[in-house]
Amino acid sequence: MNSQAGLSLTHFQAFLLFAAVISLAFGFLGRRRPNDRIRYILWSFFLFLVVGVGIGWAMYPFSR
Amino acid sequence: MTEDAIQSPPLEVAPPPPAESLLQRELRSWALALAGWFVPGLGHALQKMWGRAFVIFGAVGLLVYTGASLKGNVFASNGGDAFDTLGYVADMGTGCFYFFARFLEHTGADVSHAQGDYGTRFLATAGVLNILAALHAYEAARGRKA
Repeated sequence: MNSQAGLSLTHFQAFLLFAAVISLAFGFLGRRRPNDRIRYILWSFFLFLVVGVGIGWAMYPFSR
Repeated sequence: MTEDAIQSPPLEVAPPPPAESLLQRELRSWALALAGWFVPGLGHALQKMWGRAFVIFGAVGLLVYTGASLKGNVFASNGGDAFDTLGYVADMGTGCFYFFARFLEHTGADVSHAQGDYGTRFLATAGVLNILAALHAYEAARGRKA
């Protein structure tokens, strides 16, 4: 990862990274107990994926 | 009076600690929120919430690094329109990492490709996430269970 050359991520990689980081932060901010945090992080990550892919498919008919 | 009662030592009751005034607590909460805004995670670290502090610092730092490396737009204060100003406010939410992003992106943004656009969103998200964390530190300092 060289900042001079620039980082290169596909849309899906950026999406996964974004979902993982935000889910982790939400889990730690929103829950106190470790088990609750893990459940919240996984659930939040799953919802990010479902909603993101769902919106992608919902836009598909208008893409051409 | 029973024999037990005579022989038991007198109870030593410690004087209660001086109660923190509402104003002091409010000032301390704002100070922690400001600290948390300027250095992501510091507001929680000063309250010994180490896990949260570490995660906030890492999450905001990673988002800023990724955003700047993708050549996202780091908005400046002299933006031409309302969207630039909003972007500047969001980017400034990262606190000291705003300057880190500008340092990383000394060659300038490149939003002519989708990558740069992703980077712009990463940077703005980092700022908004850090503001959320600073508000969380503020609430925790005020005694709200979080």
